Amino acid sequence: MSDVLAASPGSAKTRRNPLTRDLLVRWSFMLPAIILMVALLAYPIFYTLDISFSRFEITSFGAGEWVGLENYREVIADYRFWDSMKVTLIYLVFALPIQVALGFFIAYLINAPWAGRGLLRALFIIPMVVAPVVAGGMWRMILDPLWGILNYWLGLIGLGPLDWFGDANLAMAAVIIIDTWRWTPFIVLIATAAMLALPKDVFEAAKIDGCNWWSTLWSVAVPLLVPVIAATFVIRWLGAVKMFDIVLAATYGGPGKATGVVNLFIYEEAFRSLRFAEAAAMAVIVLVLTMVLTGIFLRGSRKLEEWF
Amino acid sequence: MINQTKSILFRGIRRAGVAAGAVGLAGLLCTSALAEGLGTASAPIEVRIVGNEAFVKAWQQTLVPEFNKEFPNINVVFDGVPYTELLAKMMLDATSPDPEYDILLVDDPWVPQLAQIGALKDLKGSEIAGMTSADYDWDDFNAAPLAAGAWDGVQYAVPVRSNVLLRFYNRKLYQEAGLPEPTPAQTWDEFFAEAPKLVRDTNGDGKDDVWAIDTYFVREPLTPTIWQSILNANGGSLLDDAGKPAFANEIGEKSLETHKRLLDYAPPGALGHGFSESLQAFRQGMVANMFNWGSVYKSTAVDPKSTTLTVDQVGIQVLPVGTASAGTHRGIWIAGVSSKTEETEASWAFLQWLTSKQGESINAALMGSFPARKSTLAGTPAEPWLGPVYATLQQAYEAAETGHMWRIRSPKSDAAQQILADEIARGLAGQASASEALSTAAGKIEKALR
Repeated sequence: MSDVLAASPGSAKTRRNPLTRDLLVRWSFMLPAIILMVALLAYPIFYTLDISFSRFEITSFGAGEWVGLENYREVIADYRFWDSMKVTLIYLVFALPIQVALGFFIAYLINAPWAGRGLLRALFIIPMVVAPVVAGGMWRMILDPLWGILNYWLGLIGLGPLDWFGDANLAMAAVIIIDTWRWTPFIVLIATAAMLALPKDVFEAAKIDGCNWWSTLWSVAVPLLVPVIAATFVIRWLGAVKMFDIVLAATYGGPGKATGVVNLFIYEEAFRSLRFAEAAAMAVIVLVLTMVLTGIFLRGSRKLEEWF
Repeated sequence: MINQTKSILFRGIRRAGVAAGAVGLAGLLCTSALAEGLGTASAPIEVRIVGNEAFVKAWQQTLVPEFNKEFPNINVVFDGVPYTELLAKMMLDATSPDPEYDILLVDDPWVPQLAQIGALKDLKGSEIAGMTSADYDWDDFNAAPLAAGAWDGVQYAVPVRSNVLLRFYNRKLYQEAGLPEPTPAQTWDEFFAEAPKLVRDTNGDGKDDVWAIDTYFVREPLTPTIWQSILNANGGSLLDDAGKPAFANEIGEKSLETHKRLLDYAPPGALGHGFSESLQAFRQGMVANMFNWGSVYKSTAVDPKSTTLTVDQVGIQVLPVGTASAGTHRGIWIAGVSSKTEETEASWAFLQWLTSKQGESINAALMGSFPARKSTLAGTPAEPWLGPVYATLQQAYEAAETGHMWRIRSPKSDAAQQILADEIARGLAGQASASEALSTAAGKIEKALR
């Protein structure tokens, strides 16, 4: 073969041609996906970036005069933006650990083989498939201090009535409860799958060594599950940081501004106040912060994996 | 339906401007020529209207057939959009090179924004004036609702579904509390003097189960309208003559405190109540008073499918009197013709019919929509229950006109209203004092309106 190639002066060219062709064919297969990605992902991001540095022209519904960092300065000086960031942080600090801990705990509890396990897992999917706006509206009815069933039940045991939407702390609790109801099953499903994949011999060895339920959980299951827990946390973080629709349907961001998360504020600024440029600047700030924090969490999860 | 489908197809072809074959093109041009104006049986015109999904479906089913009795060759098609997305959708459509809609059905504060982007035609301009019937009486409209469709001296839209904030009261609960029926002359002080007596335990279980009042308290753009109606009734205003915020003062603070004080006599959880919740509480006989939009009267006192109350039990009047006047707040749905429509004559034909004396009466009788014309309000209503409602409505229009009881008229009015929603909500929830909330709102609104 090498003799043949050496003998022919045009052989290098003829050998490159099939390679180029092959490359072209490969890229041509990828091109539709690339075009779709650019159209659906990159374009909106660049459009948002563009209008965040411009005055928004309502007549053309696009970027007008370039204003540099003016929109960003305006947003940074707006106490409402920082208030909404604070509310988002409070929600995340409570909701994420509760959902991850509860999800893995429930998965651990139902991990033992029993007859109704399959049915229970199927039922767990229901909250996830309920549209967030429907979930918010439904829970609004359940928690309503005047008509809701929850206060009625609490009243039977001598508690309440609780003003779920009139008290700032209870309203935040209501949002966390609704979000936890929706997303804990997702974590349960991941955790269940992860637990089923754990090596059984390790648990058998722990049993032989006389480990009780708690020490098996804490010293065997948790260390083995740390990589999955970390990954689940990051996945859930990416979902939770987008919190918007449940708040819109359940509390409207109130009472006052107690549950006004940042995405609700961005939505209101854009689509109610028609301040698209300022809303775009906020969206970019949130995007950058989310990316930075996601990077930190991913790095942290790798460190955790190394430690365990 | 067949005509409508044909019309949609026809319009799609025409708007797309597809080059057809010679025969097809000739046919298309011929059809296009016939379809100008008010349409013909063989070439009907389609008029598309975008509006609030809350009521346009009913209009499609009930009002359009009435219109078609006079204009059988105009197919009117309503598209309902949720209120919160409606303005953005309209703006997006109006700024596109080939808008989908011929008529825009807009809320009270939106006309300046739409006018600024050139989305609406001047209804008193030469083009439309030439298509306007000689007996279309502009002067017959009450000034307050008609002004909702005007901006900068130009009439861009006409009132099609008028509304004002009114006070609904439950006569039975007043009687049971041993109180006389309130009158339109009742002041805020008198209202609060009676309020504690209206909060009662009616079944003897030791817990209150009826309350004095429910209205908007939740964080949303319509909640400040309650505060503003109190502000206006106390002689205050949102903006001064120079267009700068004029509410961050003693009158504004007192009015916000009054709004907040209502919570003391409202059902538990009222801080999360708005339009629906207050309506539900009133219809179920749980509250003696409700401040809400007058248009809900029919579903609150007349229609047994939606209320436990009857006409005899429900009184209606303006909001209590402040230091200057009775209170109310204008909320008119107005409709204008898109500046880019190809169907100006057909579009205006529909709007003209709907807002004529005849159309307004049909709209009022069939849909319960409130009229804007003095003659309709003074005439014999279609139903006896409308009599006191129309009298109150006329009184409210006059109060609104005198006290300028409407939202900020500016292309930035929605931004200003959202700021008010945020700050009034903080004030009501006790997260800021009335003074702090209003000062913050004034500063931000001044900046937003620049």
